[in-house]
Amino acid sequence: MKCRKLLKGLRFTSNIGNRGMGKKIGIFAVLFVGVVASLFSQSRLTISGYIKDARTGEDLIGATVSVKELPSKGAEANSYGFFSLTLPSGNYEITAQYAGYKSQTQQIKLSKSLKVNFSLSEQSKELDEVVVYGRRKDENITKTQMGIQKLDTRDIKSIPVLFGEKDVLKTIQLLPGIQPVGEGSSGFTVRGGAADQNLILLDEATVYNASHLMGFFSVFNSDAIKDISVYKGNEPAEYGGRLSSVLDIKMNDGNDKKFGVSGGIGLISSRLLVEGPLVKDKGSFIISARRTYADLFLKLSHDTSLNKSRLYFYDLNAKANYKIDDKNRIYLSGYFGKDVLGFGNTFGINWGNSTATLRWNHLFSDRMFSNTSLIFSNYDYKININSGVSLNIISRIQDFSLKEDFQFFASTRSTLKFGFNSVYHQIIPGVITAGKNVSLKSLTNKYAWENGLYLSHLYSFSDRFSVEYGTRLSVFSLIGPGIFYAYDLSGNIADSLNYRSGKFVKTYLNIEPRATFKYVINRQNSIKAAYARNTQNLHLLSNSTSGNPTDLWIPSSNNVKPEISDQVSLGYYHNFNDNKYEFSGEIYYKDLQNQIDYKNGAELNLNENVESQILFGKGRAYGLEMFFKKRFGKFNGWISYTLSRSEREFSQINSGSWFPATHDRTHDIAVVGIYELSKRWTLSATWVYYTGNAVTFPNGKYEIDGKTMFYYGDRNANRMPAYHRLDVGATWIRKKTATFESSWTFSIYNAYGHDNPYSITFQDSKTDPTKTEAVQTTLFKFVPSFTYNFKF
Amino acid sequence: MRRCIPILVILIVLSSFLSSCKKVIQLDLGTSSPHIVIQGDIYDHQGPYIVQISKSVNFYDSNTYPAVSGASVNISDNAGNSDHLKEASPGIYITSALQGVPGRTYTLIVKIDGQTYTASSTMPDPVEIASIYYQKSLFGNTIFPAISFKDPANINNYYRLIYYINNNRQNDINVTDDKLNAGQIINYVIRPLDTDNKLIAGDVVTIYLESTDKGVYEYFRTAGREGGQSASPANPTSNISNGSLGYFNACSVRTLSAMVP
Repeated sequence: MKCRKLLKGLRFTSNIGNRGMGKKIGIFAVLFVGVVASLFSQSRLTISGYIKDARTGEDLIGATVSVKELPSKGAEANSYGFFSLTLPSGNYEITAQYAGYKSQTQQIKLSKSLKVNFSLSEQSKELDEVVVYGRRKDENITKTQMGIQKLDTRDIKSIPVLFGEKDVLKTIQLLPGIQPVGEGSSGFTVRGGAADQNLILLDEATVYNASHLMGFFSVFNSDAIKDISVYKGNEPAEYGGRLSSVLDIKMNDGNDKKFGVSGGIGLISSRLLVEGPLVKDKGSFIISARRTYADLFLKLSHDTSLNKSRLYFYDLNAKANYKIDDKNRIYLSGYFGKDVLGFGNTFGINWGNSTATLRWNHLFSDRMFSNTSLIFSNYDYKININSGVSLNIISRIQDFSLKEDFQFFASTRSTLKFGFNSVYHQIIPGVITAGKNVSLKSLTNKYAWENGLYLSHLYSFSDRFSVEYGTRLSVFSLIGPGIFYAYDLSGNIADSLNYRSGKFVKTYLNIEPRATFKYVINRQNSIKAAYARNTQNLHLLSNSTSGNPTDLWIPSSNNVKPEISDQVSLGYYHNFNDNKYEFSGEIYYKDLQNQIDYKNGAELNLNENVESQILFGKGRAYGLEMFFKKRFGKFNGWISYTLSRSEREFSQINSGSWFPATHDRTHDIAVVGIYELSKRWTLSATWVYYTGNAVTFPNGKYEIDGKTMFYYGDRNANRMPAYHRLDVGATWIRKKTATFESSWTFSIYNAYGHDNPYSITFQDSKTDPTKTEAVQTTLFKFVPSFTYNFKF
Repeated sequence: MRRCIPILVILIVLSSFLSSCKKVIQLDLGTSSPHIVIQGDIYDHQGPYIVQISKSVNFYDSNTYPAVSGASVNISDNAGNSDHLKEASPGIYITSALQGVPGRTYTLIVKIDGQTYTASSTMPDPVEIASIYYQKSLFGNTIFPAISFKDPANINNYYRLIYYINNNRQNDINVTDDKLNAGQIINYVIRPLDTDNKLIAGDVVTIYLESTDKGVYEYFRTAGREGGQSASPANPTSNISNGSLGYFNACSVRTLSAMVP
């Protein structure tokens, strides 16, 4: 019976294989059949089930199950809290564990396959929200994945941030290898990649622009978020589409036991969250909203142009799930956010993302888990100008996708994952509607079909040695209708071809092999090595330092080839003092192909021939990342240090020699400390230091028409001054009862007021007209903030 | 909550007060070898026309730019005319007989120390300014000068605007093309980067509308974005060969003045 189901699954993969996967997958399939078949020769039984939070019913992602009688056997709950453990028949004592929770043990008499669910209770701690939790205590040693950083949302609660807005994207920047793009920015780069080389997923839906208000805030309202994982280029084969990293964010499911309301009132924004059961223990919902209100204060102004201005953003996260029966569960989740900026009737711009994910978890058997997702993602901006002429510009990128993932728990040694993802992209670079006298033309829409097919296998040769290997096949097709151009070297149109609707203009096929090897030396030490290839077929054109809402995504085309990266990495992991302290060191080298830069004076806005403005080159990045964390205790926190280099080579830039990428950071240090002073008070501080960006400053000047002009030498030959900053924070629990909690958080951003440059500009001296000067703009010094939080 | 609001206002005002400060800093910008800078203009009105040649200096040097004397400077057109320019004062070379005529292509050849720099530019037909008007700024009560003109249909047109307030030339670079509104009325608002020179009633605004070619437009378009928020600032794209900075511009020009009401 089970064999038949398994074969069904395998037939499924091989069917897909016949449809165009080629030899590679065939070899994998044979290998898998061999591995799996050997496991079926013995009679084995399966314990499977879900691990949940006893109070809220939230799935505990990454919780572990261990067997007392067979210490080497164990399982881990997947992203839906499901685990499957295959054992010979017998009597067992099995224990579910999740850091920060009381472990739970059940006596099992295994004579036939069983369903066992666990509900774990949080450890009662007065100050639970300030403890930096890990998951499984020694996860970093025992897990086969490397180059991964995980954060529990509880991790971020007490870390001080700008304007008191807790922000996952800012917290991950305190981890090794992940670096902010600039002062106060939610934008980040990973291991020397570009900011657009990060795949940001919210409940599996791609978020194309993760920033609010020019990057000072991220679109992720931390109230709504359960779990954050960052894969730094070594992502498992189920992920694909970006070179540098995957940031996988999962939203809370909502409490399926009782209704609850929580919220916060802050300096910049207020938040409200409502959650509760749809049907007790079977389904729940959660709705979380946030809105800024700086504009409400603008209205108080007497200045007529100020009080008619609009400047705000809001977010809405909503999710519902329902357990139909033991084998079927559905989830519906969505995000909607918008930024609005405007001055009276004369100018307005708004932009935002919306995503929706419908998921169906289905258990084909107690060892075969599947998830089917229908995903919608949209990012758009609208500009409205009404001064003299009236002009509206709408730009959009929209995805519809179907994703199918299978997880087959073949045995405690062997887990198979396979599936596919098919995405239809629609890119509307600019639809322009204008009044009379303006003959602005709308830009040609672009359509693309992106398919990914993957297979990966996690196999433990022994308790010590395991490997996770797999491959992803990525097929990207640019589709008509439209006129597609070819350009000569100087960017003039050399040829053009008109394609009808549905015609394939260009198809790129890439095979992305990936593998990670783990060797556990002993309970405290392990080493890992990994290789991964990633490809990217959507490219963000942005030539500003901070990123703009109007930055344009373009697909790979006849002119633009897929970006390709190959990364090798090696890591050492060491825990000591009963896993109280965690240390890791990783080195990596990354080779990048088909990287994008821009011609001098490139015109990227509303340009039908934008592909003629691009240069293509290669890159390399390498570095050492070290991370030391104290995980428990009254005082906890971490130190992260990255030594790295990231370089690019373009034949048309700096005469074809290697030059540092803008976000090349030689040193990057983050220190995070959290101290529980008393039951009511918790203090925290972070300190960051990093080498300034590589930039191009003028090294000479000349005069044209009586105006001073600056002469620029080599690209990125200069450095911004090094950046450093201390933030301090305090949390005061005002009241905590069984039914009501309230607390205040206070923080000061840049507490010693260091003048960090946001930008440096060059101009004629204001004081001495015979000279020129460099002027530094500093944005934030001593920025205080406070937030009031409540929960009932 | 009501009690909190005044505190919030104070804190926001306070934080914006503490935030965003500017200061002059000293940077190690190194040195650059002197580069040749050539600037030449030919108009559709009576000459003489001027070609200026100078050299660049280091960033922290004073704003005096060494003139380049003794260069051989020649301008010819495609109607068979040629003019060898005389050096009227150090680095200033003037034409004697050449006349700018719309439709003709002018070629500049400059020889300095064995190096040759060439450029050519075609003078389009003139475009008249229909009117000067004023536009209120989005913030504050500043007004900006603006012009309206009819773009000639069926050809690509490129424009450069120069404007004066009470005979003081303003330094901002203003260029536009007709890519987005070919053959239509073009309204162009001059929004100065430096808002120190605010227009007030009684000021006389003079605007020159230069009709020029693509090479000159590209020069000023790329020069105008220097120092902006570009992640990779670079030197403007010159229409002069051999690495010379500057431009050679054959343009027809029309002007209009008006008093700010």
